Amino acid sequence: MSLQGKHRILMVSDFFYPNFGGVENHIYYLSQCLMKLGHKVIVMTHAYGNRSGVRYMTGGLKVYYVPWKPFLLQNTLPTFYGTLPIIRTILIRERITLVHGHQAFSTLCHEALMHARTMGYKVVFTDHSLYGFADVGSIHMNKVLQFTLADVSQAICVSHTSKENTVLRSGLPPERVFVIPNAVDTAMFKPAPVRLSNHEIVIVVISRLVYRKGADLLVEVIPEVCRLHQNVRFIVGGDGPKRVRLEEMREKHSLQDRVDMLGAVPHAKVQSVLVTGHIFLNSSLTEAFCIAILEAASCGLLTVSTRVGGIPEVLPDDIIVLAEPDPNDMVMAITKAIDLLPQIDTEEMHNRIKKLYSWHNVAKRTEIVYDRALKCSNQSLIDRLPRYLSCGAWAGKHFCMVMIIDFLLWRLLQLWQPDRNVEVVPDSNLTSGIWVQMRMRYNW
Amino acid sequence: MDEAPIITKGRYTYVHDVRIGSPEAIDVHHISISRSVTDFLSLCSYALRLAAACFPIFALMQKTMSVYDLLMLDKPVAIVFWSFVVAGLLIRQILRKQVKKESVIILPAFGVQLETVYRSGKTVHQFVPIDKILKSVLNECVTPVTCYWSLSLIIRGEDELLLAFKGLYPPITMLVPIWKALCAAIDDKKGADIPSDCDNR
Repeated sequence: MSLQGKHRILMVSDFFYPNFGGVENHIYYLSQCLMKLGHKVIVMTHAYGNRSGVRYMTGGLKVYYVPWKPFLLQNTLPTFYGTLPIIRTILIRERITLVHGHQAFSTLCHEALMHARTMGYKVVFTDHSLYGFADVGSIHMNKVLQFTLADVSQAICVSHTSKENTVLRSGLPPERVFVIPNAVDTAMFKPAPVRLSNHEIVIVVISRLVYRKGADLLVEVIPEVCRLHQNVRFIVGGDGPKRVRLEEMREKHSLQDRVDMLGAVPHAKVQSVLVTGHIFLNSSLTEAFCIAILEAASCGLLTVSTRVGGIPEVLPDDIIVLAEPDPNDMVMAITKAIDLLPQIDTEEMHNRIKKLYSWHNVAKRTEIVYDRALKCSNQSLIDRLPRYLSCGAWAGKHFCMVMIIDFLLWRLLQLWQPDRNVEVVPDSNLTSGIWVQMRMRYNW
Repeated sequence: MDEAPIITKGRYTYVHDVRIGSPEAIDVHHISISRSVTDFLSLCSYALRLAAACFPIFALMQKTMSVYDLLMLDKPVAIVFWSFVVAGLLIRQILRKQVKKESVIILPAFGVQLETVYRSGKTVHQFVPIDKILKSVLNECVTPVTCYWSLSLIIRGEDELLLAFKGLYPPITMLVPIWKALCAAIDDKKGADIPSDCDNR
């Protein structure tokens, strides 16, 4: 029996633990904080290798690793209707009241939201990244997003820039989009207990070494900074296709003793790498919101970053130096940051970030979005179809056909396996024992 | 002996039997599945469809094949007849593999016997000594299309769980009393044993 005002939420995404990343961490921390607020949260994702079936994480967070194999970039194979039976089973057996999908690039998320809407559940969608408009991949994805968001109850974006981007891509009315920024676990990201000496300045870079994260900019910036400032050293953590270019740069300018390449850094070790530096350098070419700079600021590092996407919204102006994504501008920004270093108090910066960002705050704001979503009226298929028709001359009719077929398949499934035949899982509180709860429920 | 409690849900029936045995009573749990009308109808429709699939195969068989003359496949009546025969044989094979009843027999301080009875009458037994059972668990199994509960035994030294019900998918209301009984039997045994630290893993 759920408590008054408390929701039973199904988080769906292709991206979850054991993968580490922005979306994965967001889902995990948000789920933990929502559970602390008294809501019930279940996560659904695809199987990762042997990790398949039901797993429980900290605090009793139940995760369904559905055995659908990923086919491209961690995404489940899109079959349109293939996931309808398992999603219906999970929604009924866990008595879900609301479905929350994450990340526009996740096929499982789009399918889950489509099926949930067909079955009459309220859905919320969170977009975590910025996407383009011009290339073929983006055009296709924007159309899929338009389809999913045509009938979503509410949407959440992680920054105002991201909200603009999502509204333009999907045609969603801006009133239905909320902005709830990400947060950082300040208990984990603490500054070094002993303040580092300013005799040698250490600049830390931790990111995936790919084009999107500006690895090519680093190749230009690092030698120039090393030339201008003799007391500067770089620590580069992360791996990717552009690592080779950085290694070549290091060889070419003989910077082996001034540039350390650490390779991939596990998420648990990121804090220990960050506290060895004074400045954090982020050279991304596009970011909806950059959790990395938040983690660095929480550890007391002064941040130098490219002024792209939602980055200017993340940190106060006195603890970040912004530059255009141009090597010369970035070198000037690093010089400015080095001059600002003596004024930085790491503990004070950490405390500020602690006050500004917390996952509990994100959970409370998300709860408000859920309450709004549940207040939306229930609409039948006939009332919902006009929203799809407005998606485009040809696409609109296509989307309507997809939804009608989904509805018919759902009805067939209900005839074949009625809702009452799907067994409901009893509420379990791992601290008090799942089996005690089951005995009470089933009366023996 | 107490009246055997019976739970019926859908097509599944659970019967709990306690037999007088030595030195303690033997706990028997049966779960059986009944045939339904829809089952019979779907079987007929399968048979018809299989027969229809066989028509073109027989019709296209070459005159040069020796069986062609033997089975008189140049006549349409013969093609229809043999199609139904083949379909009937295939259906019979499928029916033989269907499970009619599965039982869990708990012999306290001795072991657990798992029995599977098929529609063809064949019975398969599997005995697990009580020392080899670490724990009995109720698991949620997730497949690409559904999710269901299963009762399994964790066996010492084995990587995989041993399913108590291999052919049937009984509802959780029937699995829980069996699970309780198994846990009680395993705990009793553990309590009676002198604790040893020989863990062979």
